[in-house]
Amino acid sequence: MTDPRPLLYVVLTALWMVSPALAEPPAAADSEPPAASPEQLEFFEKQVRPLLVEHCYSCHSAGADRIEGSLLLDSREAHLRGGDSGEAIVPGDPDGSLLMEALRYESYEMPPKGQLADESIAVFERWIEMGAPWPEEPAAAEAAPLETFDLAQRRDEFWVWQPITNPQPPKVQDTTWPQTDADRFVLARLEEAGLTPASDADRTALLRRVTFDLIGLPPTPEEVNAFLADERDDALERVVDRLLDSPHFGERWARHWLDLVRYAESRGHEFDNDTPNAFQYRDYVIRALNADVPYDQWVREHIAGDLLTEPRLHPEQGFNESVLGTGFWFLGEWVHSPVDIRKDEADRFDNMIDVMTKTFLGVTVACARCHDHKFDAISTADYYSLSGFLQSSDYRQVRFDSIEQNRKVAQRLAEIDTRFQAQVLDELRARDIVPPREAEPLDDPRIVVDYGKITPEQYLQDGFIFGLAPQRPGKPYLVASDARSVAGEDESGEDQSAAEETSGPVHIATVAAAVSDPAWSGLKSQTLGQVRNQSKLTKLPKSGRTLRTPTFELVDGRVDCRVAGKGHVIACVDSHRLVAGPLHGQTIVPIKADQRWVSMNLARYVGHRLHLEFVPAEDAQLSVQLVTQGMDADSRADLDRRLDARQEWYAQYARAAERFLNGGDDVHPLVGQWRDQRQQAAGQIVRESRLAPAMLDGTGEDDHILIRGNASKPGEVEPRHFLTAISGNQPMEIPRGSGRYQLAQEINDPKNPLTARVIVNRLWHHLMGRGIVPTTDDFGFLGQRPTHPLLLDHLAWRFREDGQSLKRMIKYIILSRTYQMSSQVDPVARQQDPKNLLWHHRPPQRLEGEVIRDSLLALSGRLDPKLFGPPVPIHLTSFMTGRGRPGTSGPLDGDGRRSIYISVRRNFLSPFMLTFDTPVPFSSMGRRNVSNVPAQALILLNDPLVAELAQGWAERALQTVPGDGPEATSDRVRWMYQSGFGRQPSDRELEIATAFLQQQAEASGGAGERVQSWATLAHVLVNTKEFIFLR
Amino acid sequence: MNPLAPYPCQRLQSRPTSRREMLARCAGGFGAVALAALRSDPLFAGVETPVAGYAGHGPHHRVRAKNVIFLYMDGGPSQVDTFDPKPMLDRFNGKDPGQLFDMEPTQFNNTGSVLASPWKFKQYGESGLPVSDLFPHVGQCADELAVVRSMTSEFPEHTFANYFLHTGSGLQGRPSMGAWVNYGLGSESQNLPGFVVINGGLIPPGGLDCFGSGFLPASYQGSIFKPSGTGVANIQPIDADPQLQRQKLDLISQLDAEATPAFGEHDSLESAIRNYELAYSMQMAVPDVMSLESEPEHIRSLYGLDAKYEPTRIYGAQCLLARRMIEQGVRFVELTCPNVGADRWDQHSNLKKGHEDNARAVDQPIAGLLKDLRQRGLLDETLVVWAGEFGRTPFAQGKNGRDHNQYGFTVWLAGGGVKAGTVYGATDEWGYKAVENRAEMHDLHATMLHLMGVDHTRSTFRFSGRDMRLTDVHGHVIEGILQDDPA
Repeated sequence: MTDPRPLLYVVLTALWMVSPALAEPPAAADSEPPAASPEQLEFFEKQVRPLLVEHCYSCHSAGADRIEGSLLLDSREAHLRGGDSGEAIVPGDPDGSLLMEALRYESYEMPPKGQLADESIAVFERWIEMGAPWPEEPAAAEAAPLETFDLAQRRDEFWVWQPITNPQPPKVQDTTWPQTDADRFVLARLEEAGLTPASDADRTALLRRVTFDLIGLPPTPEEVNAFLADERDDALERVVDRLLDSPHFGERWARHWLDLVRYAESRGHEFDNDTPNAFQYRDYVIRALNADVPYDQWVREHIAGDLLTEPRLHPEQGFNESVLGTGFWFLGEWVHSPVDIRKDEADRFDNMIDVMTKTFLGVTVACARCHDHKFDAISTADYYSLSGFLQSSDYRQVRFDSIEQNRKVAQRLAEIDTRFQAQVLDELRARDIVPPREAEPLDDPRIVVDYGKITPEQYLQDGFIFGLAPQRPGKPYLVASDARSVAGEDESGEDQSAAEETSGPVHIATVAAAVSDPAWSGLKSQTLGQVRNQSKLTKLPKSGRTLRTPTFELVDGRVDCRVAGKGHVIACVDSHRLVAGPLHGQTIVPIKADQRWVSMNLARYVGHRLHLEFVPAEDAQLSVQLVTQGMDADSRADLDRRLDARQEWYAQYARAAERFLNGGDDVHPLVGQWRDQRQQAAGQIVRESRLAPAMLDGTGEDDHILIRGNASKPGEVEPRHFLTAISGNQPMEIPRGSGRYQLAQEINDPKNPLTARVIVNRLWHHLMGRGIVPTTDDFGFLGQRPTHPLLLDHLAWRFREDGQSLKRMIKYIILSRTYQMSSQVDPVARQQDPKNLLWHHRPPQRLEGEVIRDSLLALSGRLDPKLFGPPVPIHLTSFMTGRGRPGTSGPLDGDGRRSIYISVRRNFLSPFMLTFDTPVPFSSMGRRNVSNVPAQALILLNDPLVAELAQGWAERALQTVPGDGPEATSDRVRWMYQSGFGRQPSDRELEIATAFLQQQAEASGGAGERVQSWATLAHVLVNTKEFIFLR
Repeated sequence: MNPLAPYPCQRLQSRPTSRREMLARCAGGFGAVALAALRSDPLFAGVETPVAGYAGHGPHHRVRAKNVIFLYMDGGPSQVDTFDPKPMLDRFNGKDPGQLFDMEPTQFNNTGSVLASPWKFKQYGESGLPVSDLFPHVGQCADELAVVRSMTSEFPEHTFANYFLHTGSGLQGRPSMGAWVNYGLGSESQNLPGFVVINGGLIPPGGLDCFGSGFLPASYQGSIFKPSGTGVANIQPIDADPQLQRQKLDLISQLDAEATPAFGEHDSLESAIRNYELAYSMQMAVPDVMSLESEPEHIRSLYGLDAKYEPTRIYGAQCLLARRMIEQGVRFVELTCPNVGADRWDQHSNLKKGHEDNARAVDQPIAGLLKDLRQRGLLDETLVVWAGEFGRTPFAQGKNGRDHNQYGFTVWLAGGGVKAGTVYGATDEWGYKAVENRAEMHDLHATMLHLMGVDHTRSTFRFSGRDMRLTDVHGHVIEGILQDDPA
């Protein structure tokens, strides 16, 4: 490599000699332009300006088409003002100037086309050194004014931030038409435009529409007949009530919701690893929809279901439903072995914020990751204030069956211990066995976690096995008979005889430590529906058995933990958990018996934030005293000496106390009672539980704003708060932990105009085919404006007043006359409002892929109506290949289960569903595309599943309507029309169909061929447009 | 029964059509159908009135390349072993790279010593372009190539980098290049999809989403073809008897004609009905395009269809199919690599064997493709792009492999308006980082679109509160590899 120095030296020396004036000491780094000498200005003009013009101005001048990074470099002031990343130069200090960093390719790499020659870089260096002289000149033409971001102004000027009102339903001329207040809002607009609503849909179309909309399955011929025969005024309402009560309602509407939370059961990326137990979230959504959980509760459970003091329990099985809601956060893509682990976290958080804000708030906060939102009243600070909530929260697989019961047991155990500890200490004191004064806590900055002085807020764990607080020296604890010597001190070998002497049910702690309680041994956790999971973490028995340290910043790669017992320690760096690949294996270290210190080499992660997790081996105990960073062997030996001395401080007392309590042959009666009560309480522990992805509160922390979204460029810390435009940017009052509960309250707060509008708009969208705000996930500036703003507020207001019931709002919309319009378009209306913005008719809706498949299952009689459970493996065709392919293919017909139960593997999505626009699960998709492609026709024509189910439908027709002869044939065709389309065929249709059957029969003949002819007809009916479109 | 007609449902076309329908129908093909669906959607505000003959927004400027054949080199071929010779590696072979230059973290974190290329380079053609012995056939086409030696990526991990190369974003779920191109320009094919992926056997890490349509309508998804057999899923009529299928299609259109009036007139239904015509013609067109037997023997052997090595035969078939498809107006054809037994171009160890096998599979077929396109006069309007998701380190991983390197690597382009026989940009003397005319993936995308007549900053689709682009907010056309415009 050529050494640049000689050349640089020549250049600088030359400058030095030609212009003595340049040799003056650098100007002070202040913003006032120093008086530049003519020589300096000449240097600028000859050397600096040409470089700026040539290499920088296409992006960083007033004349640029688009100014990159809000940075201008066409005046001295502009250099000082800088861009998004801060000031570009510090006059007099080249090394402190961002511009130099960029030119040297140290952080930014500018110009992007390639580094400047060393001589040119030296020119800039010199220029900054001399104080960045610049001639007096008129300001550059303001050709492309920098956008200014005025959040308050944007909030005040844009509709969506304004409070929800309760508008009066407008007066209408035709007072007979409206059936609900909602109708008046629609009709008024139509009348204003001189249009009339389409006629009512006929009853067969209506029943089919309502049935598909509510349960995603076709009405049966019996249901059709019953509805047609029901002449009561409230016949439709009865149907709606019946369908809302159907368990299939939850299945149908859960699919809508799963589109919002990018639901999948695998992580995608290279090997498509499992998201274990994701289906528990899917089942939770189905149950919650069926139970009509009020929407504010739904929001609370999603954002902070793990933090509710009174979680919602399953009515029969009693498990914690609320905690399952938090699973939605973790359904995104996960990456194994990222080289830049912090950036990976930033990307994961980005997806979580994106999904959360679009789903619940209908705004695109993620657009503000790198810069203030280009159009909406959302700042970059808002984005990072939200990311603080995620930084303060963790992922876990929660034992949702057992958590509530076991929480009670844990409290009971703690109460028992506290009570008996007090009594025992009294008893000891009465015999003059008095604990020594407590030692001063250790004071060494290298100790990052000390369970001797941890605060209750920082004593964090998944589960309860480390008790509600660490063990304190001098306090008595009951120990299991076979788990006597794990607490550390006895393994030091200092005083074996004493240890033996005092063996018994009571142990006096001589050190402070988080100690796992053997009463919790034997926990069994179920992961169902596994396909592939290469994460090294999944093998560890973490659920309900993990001690989590507070989060800290790694300043030294050497981390040591003072422990005793057996298990594992995991360094969770930047919340990375898919440890499966060449990198990051060093974050998992086993703890072996008789190891006093466990060392971790985390040199790779210096400067990152992390916490440790301690997991006892199954049926072994684990005790954790301290975590240090940057301590060498000598320092640790020194620390050991200090700790041993402290231990000795208590040892004499402990021996005396234990001798008294454990006695010789029989223990103290108090101890017996203690043991009995403890055993009784421990008998109530629920040891088996299913698992589900969920959140766990971590250390409450605020995030740094990342400059231009760059994970390696942290800026100011932004306190956690909700969107500034709604509730200001004051730090949220958070008593402890992440603050997600408070966040949920803000989302639900009536002063937040977004939440209610967004959800009622989603309901309207799914029922009507288009939202009042058509862009259901973006109510912002680039989204579309509401077609009927007053109607939107009417619905939102009503929704809030009416207990936030999704089912009641759905019913309200369906019972409107607007919903019941036919799809026939009045030519005048088409002319005047071709996009149907005013709702003069109801456009036909194409069924989703899931609904098409489910209908086929229902018609063929193959539908298994079973609810819930692990996903049915996806059927793999030979076109579905690639890394992470599941080892076995699922059945072609998915065991007859509804499509929502078929497994969703990110890298192996169903081609059938993709072709019919089921979204790829990467972000919120409240509004699916509705495309029309030949591949759809090819599937319905040639896919073996479709043909097989059509045949099943034909066989059912032959069973349901037996017999031969023209009459039976006609009846059978009628039955097929009724079951398939919810209506009777016209005479002409009947004629065409029977003629076809006859032709088929003539061509083949023979009884065996009869099924075939009917199967052919069934297959044809599946391919008619009426099968996949609703009138 | 009527005699066999190409479109069994023609009678339905006699219905009066709106101007809008007319326009869409004239444009024809798959893009047209998709567009019809889009335009019936009140949300779809992004598309300008289409130029006649184009279903998308149409070209913004002169079209140099009508079609693209993207030769995707899965796994990341090594630049210093293919098109970017570095004598310094020979000089310092076996030395500790840490003593010679600054090293960045790598995916496998197992860096060894400087590793000289096991292959010799030769200069080829009038341009004198150096090509290593891995590509003796491609070398003969050196004068067609514009070699970009200064490409960079943002990601050292396959999946991110694959998504980035294909979609301009490292994350899952964004539209692939082929989808964008068809969205912008529509397809010229009446009966084949506009974006075809011919899968030689290796679907890249990241899966089929490398070829997805993301937030664009499903009509722009890449259709996955195999280079043999029926080609694509569900194309073979389920009815063994072609007569029966025709009867069924006839009945479908008859019954549709009875039932659809109750719906009123709607574009969406019309499009769905027309899908059956397209599907039917596709059923015929696909076996047609798949029938490589119909090619003369000298063409088949030009592509290596008679090679001893099976992966060569597979890739040869892919290349030949690609040519046949672009002849039919398929806008964007991507080829994935065949399985050579070892691994894709991802030689973390045994560089020599692995790269040799992968090169052996693709070298002759690629050269055959370039020559064939040239002799048919198609190369000038067909852009051929050869690229992996990143390159490899000039120093060893372990003893004899190379790790991922996104800081500087080589891609090349040919035909379709690129300046032939050029080298653009340079890596440092180690072949490690791009130092001269550094190019980004976004630049490659911008350039490809540019050659197709599309201004990458103007081909946008509104999603999630933004006007999304293939190039996000980045990208500059690499002017240095464009053919001088005679005009």
